[in-house]
Amino acid sequence: MDHDTTREQLELAAVEPGGLDRLVAGDTATAQAVAGHLAGCLSCTAELGRLQRASTLIREVAREIPPADLRERTLATVRAAGVARGAGADVGIGDDESAVSVTTGASPAAGALPTVGPTSAAVQARSRSALGWVAAVAAAVVLSVAATSVIVGGRVDERLASQARTIGALEKVTNATLVITSQPDVRRVALSGAEPGLAGSLLFSPSTSELVVVATGLTPPPAGQEYRCWVEQAGERQGVGKMSFSEGLAYWVGPVSAIRGLVGEATFGVSLVDLDGVDPDPEPVLEGGL
Amino acid sequence: MAEGRGDPIDDAALVHQIVGGSEAALATLYDRYGEAIFASACRLTADRGIAEEVVQETFLALWNRAELFDAAAGSLAAWLHAIGRNRAIDRLRAAGRRPRLVSTSSSTAVDENPTQGLERAVASGIVVAGGSQPRSPEAAVEAAGLREAIRSAMTAMPDTERTVILLAYQEDLSQAEIADRLAWPLGTVKTRTRRALLHLREALGGEFGPMAGQTDLDDMPVTIGQDR
Repeated sequence: MDHDTTREQLELAAVEPGGLDRLVAGDTATAQAVAGHLAGCLSCTAELGRLQRASTLIREVAREIPPADLRERTLATVRAAGVARGAGADVGIGDDESAVSVTTGASPAAGALPTVGPTSAAVQARSRSALGWVAAVAAAVVLSVAATSVIVGGRVDERLASQARTIGALEKVTNATLVITSQPDVRRVALSGAEPGLAGSLLFSPSTSELVVVATGLTPPPAGQEYRCWVEQAGERQGVGKMSFSEGLAYWVGPVSAIRGLVGEATFGVSLVDLDGVDPDPEPVLEGGL
Repeated sequence: MAEGRGDPIDDAALVHQIVGGSEAALATLYDRYGEAIFASACRLTADRGIAEEVVQETFLALWNRAELFDAAAGSLAAWLHAIGRNRAIDRLRAAGRRPRLVSTSSSTAVDENPTQGLERAVASGIVVAGGSQPRSPEAAVEAAGLREAIRSAMTAMPDTERTVILLAYQEDLSQAEIADRLAWPLGTVKTRTRRALLHLREALGGEFGPMAGQTDLDDMPVTIGQDR
């Protein structure tokens, strides 16, 4: 193994959890080749030390950087669960009672006041629209959790772990929905499928490029295939990401650079693709447009 | 950080606006202190999920109890960090865990001087361990500079590179898992990972930077395969 290949292996291992330790331990053919090179190369050994120091420091700093959407989630939390504040506010928080019932399951904050102005009314309307959508997702998840709960056979831990994953998925989708619906430019797209029982919805904000898509009725993909979400503009299709599955819910949440500043017509869809396939634009199983 | 950091008059005025119902004032204070509170909670709990909840609860408390803030009694930063620390400890107790021992030096945020950090730490009760090997002022400044260099480099790098490096370091995902998550070819993930790491190491320089003769960024392929 030469210097360049060794350093490439070291760099890639440096960002994997415990990667450098595993590589240096030499328990794979590649690791043994790297270890063999390091044994006779002072400069690559020195590079290993520099990489270890740098990676430790970068990991420490990276882990203290909050996720980009935490700001909006925090404001959405305050909007949903905070006490009502007085008139003259730019945007009132705590006047959206339905949001409280969804995000916390609690009753509205004590002393909640009526809506304080047109801006709040707009926010409230957006939230209510989205909340119906979230409630539909929640209903689907609750049904799937209930279905899982009647499985017999004593596999309690497995069942609980599965339910925890499902609840985590719902939390992720719900948080993203609240964040996106707090944006003034939130857009919604209904996705329809050719088969009965197959449906989906998609929310996004062109200004923040955050997007969430959920679908119910999709069967988990067979081996060698996966569902991928995409957006198509002016005949050009761009990938969004692979749909995750949790019980009866298929979803994708995250930023999509392709929708930043999106104006005009666009089509969104979900397709079942072969992992080793060559078809660049497979037929959609769900589709909807602006 | 935003202007006015450490200026109690500015902070107090914003808190007063919160009492009047201003979400914009709350958002401004989040921009000033949200990241530092998250970092403190991370150091205390070693759990990003708990740290996120702590931040949300801290700013919810600020909103709900803004009338109780007294600028004459101490800075808003100290008040918020005290709330955050209490929330973090509550979470840890609920989970049956103990807070991590935190030295005064490591509890000082990047953009605080030691006096500000100590003031905030004392106010929040965060000083639970004295440093047996106190960091020299020069070392503290250097460490803060390195951390700030990493933050700046991460902000400046392309979205695609920042995404892979954060998924790797924050969520401990392997390159194969990142490729799976983003539906990118594995080769693309590897290339972007190496470019991101090289960017960060160049920003750090010194004993952390790439050695002379290291692969130049321009020599690395931008992508391998298609992003789908």
